Amino acid sequence: MRLKHVAFRYTRGGPWVLRDATLELAPGRILEFRGANGAGKSTLLRLVAGLLRPRRGDIEGRPARVGYAAERFPSGQPFTVAAYLSFMAGMRRLPATAAEPWVERLGLGPLLDVPLPELSKGSAHKVGLVHALSSGAGLLVLDEPFAGLDAPTRADLPAALTELAAAGATIVVSDHQGCLDGLPDIERYRIDDHTISGPLPHGRRRAPEEAEITEVTLEVVVPADEADAVAAKLRADGHRVRRADR
Amino acid sequence: MTALIRFQVTGYVRSQRALYPMIVVACFVILVLVQSPGQEHGAALTVGTFGDIAAFMVPIWGWTARALLDTAPDVQADLSALAVGRRTTATIAGLISAYGMNVALAAVMVAVPLVQAFAFHVGGPAMLAGVALQPLAAGPATLLGAWTCRAVIRSPALSALALVGGCLVLLVLSMGPLAWLSIPMVGWLRAAHHDEGAFTAGFPGLAVHLVLWWAAAAAVYIWFRRR
Repeated sequence: MRLKHVAFRYTRGGPWVLRDATLELAPGRILEFRGANGAGKSTLLRLVAGLLRPRRGDIEGRPARVGYAAERFPSGQPFTVAAYLSFMAGMRRLPATAAEPWVERLGLGPLLDVPLPELSKGSAHKVGLVHALSSGAGLLVLDEPFAGLDAPTRADLPAALTELAAAGATIVVSDHQGCLDGLPDIERYRIDDHTISGPLPHGRRRAPEEAEITEVTLEVVVPADEADAVAAKLRADGHRVRRADR
Repeated sequence: MTALIRFQVTGYVRSQRALYPMIVVACFVILVLVQSPGQEHGAALTVGTFGDIAAFMVPIWGWTARALLDTAPDVQADLSALAVGRRTTATIAGLISAYGMNVALAAVMVAVPLVQAFAFHVGGPAMLAGVALQPLAAGPATLLGAWTCRAVIRSPALSALALVGGCLVLLVLSMGPLAWLSIPMVGWLRAAHHDEGAFTAGFPGLAVHLVLWWAAAAAVYIWFRRR
């Protein structure tokens, strides 16, 4: 799949949200996009998914099956988690149980009978992720997939994406939290001023303006039974963690 | 597509939105239709009622279609379109869902006049025409509602205004020389209130008019939504 000189604006005569985007999205690759709020990450992802049409340029070679997880899952719907996932699997002509492995992996099992509007923000976000991950898609587009997730899921998700990429899926992710920093084989791009730059060299995890930040040591006191979870969360955020009791 | 239709109809029925047209239809049936016409003109009045309820239901069908299509949040509409593979498939599924709900409302509405038609020995062809008029009229009315849904008109106020205004414009157009441009509401009202013979004789023309209007509005709507 490739984007050729794609440009987009929402209204005729309006400001360009994305300019001259040219990208190659090869099967089995994970592409991460970073940028400030309003830089155009979500618009780019919606273009890649096929939810928007470019005003200029072309997008070709998009896989027939596309999985998409929006930044905000639409939880205001009159379904339980199980019914929703079953309906969505039906739309994709997948068995109603298609989502079960991902339900277990993301810890949604106890919430299957809960109505969507009663879910917490993080749990609702997981429903959207489970739907996307279980879609069997050749192209998986995830808009801020780590936002609001609990520490174990945040820690596991990069591995899950790696597995899907290894199975041949192209994965496109926007993430401003650096949760994919641990993945070595990933293409990183930045969107600044509505223009895509990259892929950034491997090992360069931070934007140039961020690289000059001086490191400091914080002392965080937490209950012993929460220490592992907090440490995992901080590591997922890209911080180095040392434990005083070990 | 079937799964998406089930999803949309289930979502609409489980939401509070489905109650409003049902309450209107139930009130109309209880307060108006169960009042049996007198024996003297029973058959003629019953045939006229078939035309009346089809005309009365046009704005209700439009409203129902608009509400059903607006039930799912925008992000869910995106997810559904990706799940079924094509935006056009999702658009057609939405139209079928809305039309199905409107036919169900029509079935509730036409039940009492149908019983009365049997009681007053209305002729079979007029009875069939009266029943068939309901799903035929529901089609264009569904499209009218679809053209005012959120995906087409973002503002709820403008959308409601467009729906009411659209109904009025179609009614006014159907009275004059430009009736061929409109849903033939006045045409079927005149035929149904004339007599059984006129209604039966005029029905094929009305049906063709409705189907053509329906097909043209649907084609333009589907083309517009895929842009």
